Amino acid sequence: MVDRLTLLVGDNPFHGISHLSQERSRLRDDTITRADYAAGLVATALENGADGFMFSVDDATLSILRIIREKAGKINLDLYAIVPYAYDYVRLATQAGGITGLARKVAKEIVVSFNIKAMATGLRAAVTIDPKALLKTYLTYEISRIKSSQGKRMNLKSVLLHEIITDMALALNLDWIFKTHIEFMLKKGIKPGFETRNFAFLVNKFKNWNIDFKNVVIATPFNAVGFQMNPSREECEKALVDVRAPSIIAMSILAAGYLKPLEAVNYIKTLPNLKGVVVGVSKENHARETFKLLKERFNS
Amino acid sequence: MGNSQSSQIRVAIIGLGKMGLLHASLLSVLPNVKLVALCDKSSLIRKICRRLFHDVFITDDVEQLTGLDLDAVYITTPIPSHFSIAKTIYSKRIADNLFVEKTLAANYDEARKMCELAQASGGVNMVGYMKRFAVTFNKAKELLDKGVLGDLVSFDAYSYSSDFVDAKEGSVSTSRGGVLGDLGSHVLDLALWFFGDLKVDSAKLVSIHSFSAEDVASFKVSASNGLEGQFDISWCKKGFRMPESGLAIRGTKGKIMVNDDELRLELVNGESRRWYRHDLNDSVGFLLGAPEYFREDKYFIECVLNGCNGEPNFSTASKVDYLIDQVKREA
Repeated sequence: MVDRLTLLVGDNPFHGISHLSQERSRLRDDTITRADYAAGLVATALENGADGFMFSVDDATLSILRIIREKAGKINLDLYAIVPYAYDYVRLATQAGGITGLARKVAKEIVVSFNIKAMATGLRAAVTIDPKALLKTYLTYEISRIKSSQGKRMNLKSVLLHEIITDMALALNLDWIFKTHIEFMLKKGIKPGFETRNFAFLVNKFKNWNIDFKNVVIATPFNAVGFQMNPSREECEKALVDVRAPSIIAMSILAAGYLKPLEAVNYIKTLPNLKGVVVGVSKENHARETFKLLKERFNS
Repeated sequence: MGNSQSSQIRVAIIGLGKMGLLHASLLSVLPNVKLVALCDKSSLIRKICRRLFHDVFITDDVEQLTGLDLDAVYITTPIPSHFSIAKTIYSKRIADNLFVEKTLAANYDEARKMCELAQASGGVNMVGYMKRFAVTFNKAKELLDKGVLGDLVSFDAYSYSSDFVDAKEGSVSTSRGGVLGDLGSHVLDLALWFFGDLKVDSAKLVSIHSFSAEDVASFKVSASNGLEGQFDISWCKKGFRMPESGLAIRGTKGKIMVNDDELRLELVNGESRRWYRHDLNDSVGFLLGAPEYFREDKYFIECVLNGCNGEPNFSTASKVDYLIDQVKREA
């Protein structure tokens, strides 16, 4: 393990997500999904050892950034953004009657956003149906949304492709998606990242495609019970050794609340090649205690 | 049958929406599958697919799949088209083995005809009721089959999502039909799997967004052994960010509460137990969407390779169409 881990606050609870059970998230007070409350939790986590915020880019999380910018402007905050916010797009596709309906809606959104750069590249991409140009257009659009909400002391460290894109591209052997994202982000001075639920598969593919792990960030589940670790905890641990670079951000370390923080930390401490960990918090004392513990065990 | 005897299953997918792409991805990671052809009516989708997929035949016409030596075809188009596409596949001998996304057909009459066609072809046929491959529902089935609850008395079943809670007027597509065939069919299939044949006693359907399709369905059923049940289905329910199905099942010895995430068993002798997905070995070879999709595709391909019956097959799944027709008649 590296000397110091990057400690990140995750946004799942702010969207009302619990991977343990949906019932659990419904039983939570609605307060958690209020942007001002969530911003307060992020600030508390930062005061107690967190370095940054990992979030899916949507209206709710961008509101959180704006509130932190206004109310806690002096706090330094590293941003790890995940795009697209798949849930929103799947829901839109459901309502719009499929992928073509969704494509029309997203195109309209980009035009309405008046992002000249995105529109210019998007027009070329749309005319030629050039997937690489379409990807760059979309990334330009998302980066512009983040930049317009972030404060001066916020640093957009990484933009990660959401697991649904990463894992579908892995399955379909679409190496150009990974290479295009890496090249585009590196040019912008942002670390390219990928979220995956198929870590062992990804490591194998990246080796075949000669993708250097030093240039990227990978966010993927690591926890003592193997929750969402595919094909198995053992295979993911073996793949982690093979990475040979501290580029992995461990997610779901508490296995969605199934494990106690100390159990989670003791397991994570045994793993090599980690860059950081991300943990979601839903209460003030939870934010304080969790990040105090993480700071004490990983960074003191 | 194409090349399946040489352990390489040649597959085509018809309909490249969300489910078509999901199956295309999962089939691509299975070692004994070759994705050979894709078919979609949308010219935009076909153009994008030509850029994404290499060495794959792409067409808008099902009949053009003839002569590709296919072992299996996935139909992932809107439900009303399932029957006509399946008919073409069987009549043109495009493939003997067919996987159809749920529901099997737009109504029981078409579902029954599809069963006859499938039987005549002699191949493997299966319908995408993937909840059967979820670890929690599987565990519930295991407990019920062991008779843990004693004689079954009653059940309450639900399927909820918030997909259309805040849908704006005019933004809702009616192409996917109503909530019964879409979201609700999963829990209907689970109930038929758990309890056997059911008869609809009374039903109520409510349309909120469109006159042509129902958004909320509630109905009562009974079985020949005296079991009584109640269903509540809606895609306009607040608090269900992800679609969720569940059942509370009561027997003479206790009750089971099961949904996508967890299973609780409470026995009248005071014993109780709770299983989350974490406790039930939920890892899969490749996770996309949910673990159950991978298990479902792997199972179908294994059935094709081994020439064995896959469940839920057309005949089993047609009972869901029968039940939906009954609900619509009673409402």
